[in-house]
This record gives sequence, C-alpha cells and structure tokens, in this order.
Amino acid sequence: MEPVLRARQLTYGRPAQRRLDAVDLELRGGDRLGLLGINGAGKSTLMQLLAGVLVPDAGSVRVLGHDLHDDRVDPRRHLGFLPQQAPAYGELTVRENLAWAGRLRGLAGAPLGRAVDSALQRTGLGDVADRLAGRLSAGMLQRLGLAQALLHEPRILVLDEPTAGLDPLHTEQLRTLLRALPGETAVVLATHLLDDVQQLCDRVILLDRGRKVAEHAVDADSDLLAHFRGLATTGLT
Amino acid sequence: MTAAIAAHEWRRLRHGLSFWLLLALTQLLIAWLAFAQLEAFAAIAPQLKAGGSTVGATDLVVMPTANSLLLLLLLIAPLLAMGSLAGESHSGRLPLWLSSPTGSAAIALGKILGLWLGLLAPLLSACATLAVLGLGIDLDLPRLAVAVAGLALVALWLAALCVLLSGLFDHPAAALAASYGVLLLLWLLDSFSTGDTPWQRWALMPHVEPLLRGLLRSEDLLYFVSTGAAAALLTIHRLDRRRGLA
Repeated sequence: MEPVLRARQLTYGRPAQRRLDAVDLELRGGDRLGLLGINGAGKSTLMQLLAGVLVPDAGSVRVLGHDLHDDRVDPRRHLGFLPQQAPAYGELTVRENLAWAGRLRGLAGAPLGRAVDSALQRTGLGDVADRLAGRLSAGMLQRLGLAQALLHEPRILVLDEPTAGLDPLHTEQLRTLLRALPGETAVVLATHLLDDVQQLCDRVILLDRGRKVAEHAVDADSDLLAHFRGLATTGLT
Repeated sequence: MTAAIAAHEWRRLRHGLSFWLLLALTQLLIAWLAFAQLEAFAAIAPQLKAGGSTVGATDLVVMPTANSLLLLLLLIAPLLAMGSLAGESHSGRLPLWLSSPTGSAAIALGKILGLWLGLLAPLLSACATLAVLGLGIDLDLPRLAVAVAGLALVALWLAALCVLLSGLFDHPAAALAASYGVLLLLWLLDSFSTGDTPWQRWALMPHVEPLLRGLLRSEDLLYFVSTGAAAALLTIHRLDRRRGLA
C-alpha cells in the first residue's frame, strides 16, 4: 500500500539550534502513529511541518504523492490538523466555529451543514452547539478543535498533544472519540503521555532533541516505559 | 472565498467591544467638531455675505471636519487591524488558516476587505452627520461626494497597509506600534523638506488634501491604488512564504 504521508529528512531550525534534524516517517491508510518525546523533543515542530503550518529548512512532506508545498494541487485538503492550542473564536458559537472551519476547507451550502451536524454528533458537542466557544471548558474546547480537524473527513489527521491539560474524564472521552475514527483515516499523534500511545497507536516514533531515535510497534509486550525513561534520562543529561 | 473571509472579518470586528467604542467615539467627535465649525461659520456668515465672498459652509464646516475624520481614520485603522493576522497568530488560530487549502490571495484580500468594511462604518456614519447639515445650510454636494469617495479610497488603502503590517508580526501590540510608526512617517514625510524631493512623493498628505477639497487627480488615485495594491501583494507573498508556497 502506498503511503498517504511521507516525510523525508525533515529539518527545521538553524544548524546551531536544530529543532528537528533529518526526520523520516511514513504513514499508510489506517495507521495510528504516535510521536513520543519529552518537552522540547521537537514533536510540535514536526506536527506543524506535517500540517503545512511551518516550512522545512530541508527535506520534504508528500501527501498522497504530492509535495505539501505544491500549490497547484494543494494536498492540504486531505489533512486535518489539531494544534496544541485548539483554534477557536471565543465570540462565535460552537456551530459557527465549525461552519467557519468548514468554509476555510472549501465546504459550502448543504454539504457544509451536513458536515457540521456530523462533526457535532461525532464529538458529542450537539448539546453545546449554540454556546459561545469562549465559554467552553478545556475538554470541550479540545473536542471542538478535533471536530474542526475532522469536519472535511480528511485522509490524514495530525494531532498535537490532543489530551494535554485535560482531566482524566475528558482525556478518556477524547480517547474514545479517537478510537472511533474511521479505519482508513491515518492518524499521527504527538504526545508525552505513554497511555495515549498505548491506547491509541499501533506504532511509535521516539524523538529526542529533534532526532528520531527509535521506531517501535506498540503491542502488549512493548516496554514503552523503558524507552521513555531512557529518553528522559538522556534528555536531562 | 474572499467575500466569505471579508464577511467573517467584518463579523469578528463587530463582535469586539473596541469596534463599537471607536465607532461611538468617532461619531461623538465628528458631531462635536462639525457643530463647533458650524457655530464659528454662523458667526462670520453675515460678514462673508456682505463682502461677497464665495467661501461657504462646505469650505468652512465640511472640509475641516473631513480633515479631522481622516485623522481619526489614521488612528482607528491600526487598532482594528492589529487583530487581523497578528491577532490570529497570537491567539493560536493562524494554524487553522495556514493548514487550510484556502489560497493566500483569498485570505489577504478577505482580511483587507473585511477591515475596510470596519472602517467604512465610522466613515459613513460621520459623513451622514455632515450630510444632515445640508438640511439647514447650502452644501456643495458634488464636492462632498468626492471627499467621501476619497476618504473611502483612503480607508481601503489604510486597510491594505495595516493588514500587511499585521501579517509581519505575531503580536497585535507589535503590529499596532509598527502601523502607527509607518503612518506617522508617511504623514510627516513632506514636513522634512521643501521642494519636490523624491520622498515627498511618498508622503500621504499631499495626496489626501486634494481629495478632501473635492479635487480628483490621477496622480493621487495612482498613489493610493499602486501602494495599496503593493501592500496587498506583499501580504499574499508573506502568507505564501509562511506556507512554503513562495
């Protein structure tokens, strides 16, 4: 199967202060890839490069075979991105925020209305659809961010620490939502929580100071804690 | 998509308290200035009539007030524009825009047109106040119309310039400071020297004053259209560079 997302030698930052250094990764339809690393490992930088928000200093990102920075095709339409801070207009309602995110992704008219209703239902935001986004709890706001990322049914979902700052209840609710994603959607998820990786991912890349240091399958036997401890130790030295 | 972004931007402005405060303040100041000018005009009108002067209410009431309105627009535009791209960046919403397939041209033009709508609101409400004076005194309506159209053009130019400066910074306060700095420089540029120096052609006031007097000159139109279009193109280029498309 052809990869839906392929990053080659992704590099970002000045040579003396590399935030990301020659990282490779591939994602096929249905893959659930975790990016694990301590704070400052380069997870968010990599997420923003994969989503087309940042431009790499070297290397490339190809989405469904097209360069991410090829504006004639614009592969961004196949990407859904949830940044670390869920983007929302506090003065607009949840429904209005979703409608606006849909417009930005080229949806309009009846398909937009259907997409908004579907996203509200999938993320359990139906009851607060007419509430101002500025009055949502952190958990609800994160769900709104996820709903925006899912709205146009992207082939690839890029999630940057989706459970960061959430209480255990909201964390579990969000994980349930992510587990219920369509099977063909490829997900790349950055986190520093082992539980996120163990519960949501089938593969994990370990990042340390901008470098990819390991890649493992996630299964019942994988000792992620040992790998992560190794990272934390080297990161502190 | 440009129209949708403009409507979104216009809605974003209307949802902010600062927009309504600025609108109210503009209306209040223009009304106060217009009536102060009117009072002064009423005091000297008999002498002007007796002396056979051709100077009327349009010259002594409307045009000075339009000058004040221009100054207010110069103060308001950076305040409304600072939330445009710098505000999106500061509040973490810029990734929503940059990761979307919406073109940079649509984003830049939509932001500019939306801000222009925001500037037209105080402009038109102030002009309506001036037009109401026409119920009681003789106004040169064609000249007034040219001045209003000129101010609308200046507002569009301001929107393009301020959105460009907003796109250069990630913090609204930095965008605000830069906008005031650039506008102050353009405003004062012709005071630095006398005679026809190259930088005087870039000065704002020599191009605005004829418009406010009701005089349409091609060189003034060219100034606003060319520099405004250049600002819009630079904003598009800036967005493209951020997304790696340029």
